[in-house]
Formats: sequence, structure tokens, C-alpha cells
Amino acid sequence: MVEWKKDIGLEGRMILTMFLLAAVYLAFLVFLASMGAPQIFILLFIALFMGAQYYYSDKLVLMTMNARVVSESEEPKFHETITRLCVIAGLPKPKLAIVDSSVPNAFATGRGPKNAVVAVTTGLMRKLDQRELEAVLAHELSHVKNRDMAILTIASFISTLAFYIVRYSFYFGGFGGNRKNSNNGLVVVWIVSILVWIISFLLIRALSRYREFAADRGSAAITGNPVNLISALRKISGTMENVPTEDLRKVEGMNAFFIIPAAVSGSVMNLISTHPSMDKRIAALEKIQREIEL
Amino acid sequence: MGFRDMLNSVLGRSKVPEAKTDRLFAMSTAVITLEMNLNLKPSAVAGICFKSMDMSKYQNTKEEIEQLLRFSSKETGTEYEIQKDEYNFLWAILKDKDFEDLVTNIHMISQTLIEQNFGEQILCAVYRFESNGPVYWIYNFKQGNYYPFVPTGKSKRDNSMELRLKSLMEKELPIEKEVGKWYPLWGMPF
Repeated sequence: MVEWKKDIGLEGRMILTMFLLAAVYLAFLVFLASMGAPQIFILLFIALFMGAQYYYSDKLVLMTMNARVVSESEEPKFHETITRLCVIAGLPKPKLAIVDSSVPNAFATGRGPKNAVVAVTTGLMRKLDQRELEAVLAHELSHVKNRDMAILTIASFISTLAFYIVRYSFYFGGFGGNRKNSNNGLVVVWIVSILVWIISFLLIRALSRYREFAADRGSAAITGNPVNLISALRKISGTMENVPTEDLRKVEGMNAFFIIPAAVSGSVMNLISTHPSMDKRIAALEKIQREIEL
Repeated sequence: MGFRDMLNSVLGRSKVPEAKTDRLFAMSTAVITLEMNLNLKPSAVAGICFKSMDMSKYQNTKEEIEQLLRFSSKETGTEYEIQKDEYNFLWAILKDKDFEDLVTNIHMISQTLIEQNFGEQILCAVYRFESNGPVYWIYNFKQGNYYPFVPTGKSKRDNSMELRLKSLMEKELPIEKEVGKWYPLWGMPF
């Protein structure tokens, strides 16, 4: 019997991050109010701006990424793969798009499961086999299912506000109130806004990393095969180079003449090891594999 | 969206809906109407499709299913075959003139998978009928509903026939209301 465990630690870190973010934001709003800022207008403006960005996210991202929505007759296998995953995940089928790029990558966007778009690059489709592609698509579907687009938009709402204050407050010449103090006040607002922006930026980054881990877990739960995502991640990052396909007997003979074994291509490995998140993601997936198998 | 779903989303919980088997049996009574009133003859073949996984526990479950199928083939004469399709999904294909035995075996396989916690990876069950060409009734375990699928070519389906079947069978079969979820299965293995 297989048991899918919850990752309490991950959920806890996620809650803590969201809580901290909310606390920072709340404190910032209280501070702005105490400085007599006409925050209603700023809030309305940002809300409108982010609302539009959120609402049109699918189209915006498709446009900026140069992604082309593909029909079922163009890409039958891609469609069928995602359909099956959606049936298993209990999700409506998203639109599918392809980006013409040799860099293997995939992304999901859209404001909710009903408006979602999942896109992959041609490089990804070339590089991965069916199982790995399925694992990556399941990861993207988990983002859709977890509404990561909405959550990160909400999370960055007030951070965006702080950013705009940092950038434009001098043009507007302060927030009214007492004329004598307004210049001093402005500097204080400016510094606090920078602080809020930096802290919230770090928190949002952390939250987004946790959402990645959660989507990896989601992929494992949908496909039932954490290993498939591991090998997809390895292939995408290039570490697969280190799992040789040459017959041992053949390589052994050659390696005797080399100081460094021929099968290891060092430079790629070094680049990756400076990139801890990939190692951590793989370690987390390996843990899931142990949880369900042992 | 309920509060629970919202919470699961916010916490990024990787919950996959469980398989529902309770309405699977609706087919065993509906088959009479299908045959008598709509002139759809059961083709004496059905199948269940589920994801294959590379783990030892899954191998054991697969062996358990095969054992049960072997046993039931002795008992009821149901022939069976297990094959993998190009998407790495497994199909257990059952052949039996007695429609009731097909339903029982499909239920037995899904139940075994659910008991071992592999129920979440069941894709669907399919019953084949004969009209001018094949007519399939597909059971979606996640929704607990049936829907018709009438392929007329490599990637064409007879929508008017499917919609007719829906309106005629609605009272007897739990049919998926959202037509957008009537996913086809091209290249059905039977």
C-alpha cells in the first residue's frame, strides 16, 4: 500500500512566509496612513494595474514569450498527454502553447484553472521522452491547480505599491500634510518603502520557491512517479551527461589512460552545483520516492 | 470552489481526487435499454486504463490483479489481456459475452487499485458497443460519470450521435454534464 504524505514542513514554511509578508504589508499600510498618504488613490491605481495584469495574464505571457497556441490536430500527442493528466488531476483541460526555442523549458499561466495555458518549448519536447515530458506537464498543472499565478499576484500587490513609491514619490512631491515636515517625511517614506520592497522581494522569492517544491510534489502525486521528474530536471539542467551510456568494459579500458575519468564532463557539473535549487528539488523528490516506496 | 479546495490551493497541497466507483454499476442496468431501445449491441469487450508506475509495490498490485483475473477467467470464462499503450498507460482488456461479468471485473480491478492507494491514477473504464461502427461508453472515475464516444475516423467523432445518446440515456446513466469533459480516446485498443 502506497502512502502519500503531506509535507508539513513545507506547508509550515509557506504559512510562515505568507504570514510575514502580510505583517510587513500591514505595518507598511499603517505607516503610510500615519504619514497622511492619500493611500486610497495609490491603492486603487495599483489594484487596477495589477488586476488588469492578472486578468490578461494568459494573453500577456503568451505574447511576451512568443508562444503559439496549438490545436489538437497540430499536436495530437501533446494534447492527449495533457488530457490524461487533467483527467487524473480532476482539472479542466488548459490551452496548450509551444514556444520556438531550443532552451528546454515549460511554464503555466492564466488566472485560474479555467483560463490556464500550459506552454512548452520545442527544445523541451525534443530533449525529454514521454515520461519526463509528462512529469514536467504535471508540474505545470500543479501550478495551475494551486493557483500560483493568483497567489503570487496577491503576494506582490503591496510590494508593487512600495516599488512605485520608491520610484515616483519625488515626482509627486510628498504626501500633502504639513508643508514644513513634508520633505523630511518624504525621505522617511522613501526609506521605509525601500525596506518594505527589499524584505517583501525576499519573502516573495522564498514563497515562490516553496510553490515550486509544492508543484514538484504535485507532479509526483499526479504521475505517481517522482523519478520521472528527477530525470527530467537532470536532463534540463544538463547533469544527465554524468550518467554514462557507454558500456563499462569499454570505458574502463579507456579510462586507465586518463587521469580524469572520461565520462565526467566537469564544466557542466560545476555550473549546476552553484545552482542549489536544482539539487534541493531533486533531493526533495528523492525523499518522496522513499516515502512511497519504503 | 469550497473552502477546503481554497485551503489546499493556498497551501499548495498535492491532492489528487480519489476514484469514485459507486456509479460504475449504473451500466449493468443501462445496458438493457441500450440494447433493446437504442439497438446498441454490447461488443462483449471492455477495458480499464490506468497509469503504470515503476515501483515494487505497484508491481505487486499488478500481479494481484492478474491473479484475480486468472481466477475470474476460470470462474466466469472472462478472457483478459494486459497491454501498455504509447502513453505508458496500462490497459486491462476483458472479453466476455456476459455483460454483467465485464462490469464485475472492471469493478474488481478498480477496487484492487484503490485498496492499494493507486486509485488516483485510474484514467477510465470503457465499454464497447456496436452500431454501424463502434460506440464507446467511457466512465471517468474522477467525476463518477459516463460519457459517450463515437469515433468515425482517425480523429473525428460523431457529435450528433453522442448528444443523442446523452439525451436518451440521461435518466438511466449518470452522464457528464459538461460536454467539455467528454475527452476522446483515439486509437482505442479494442
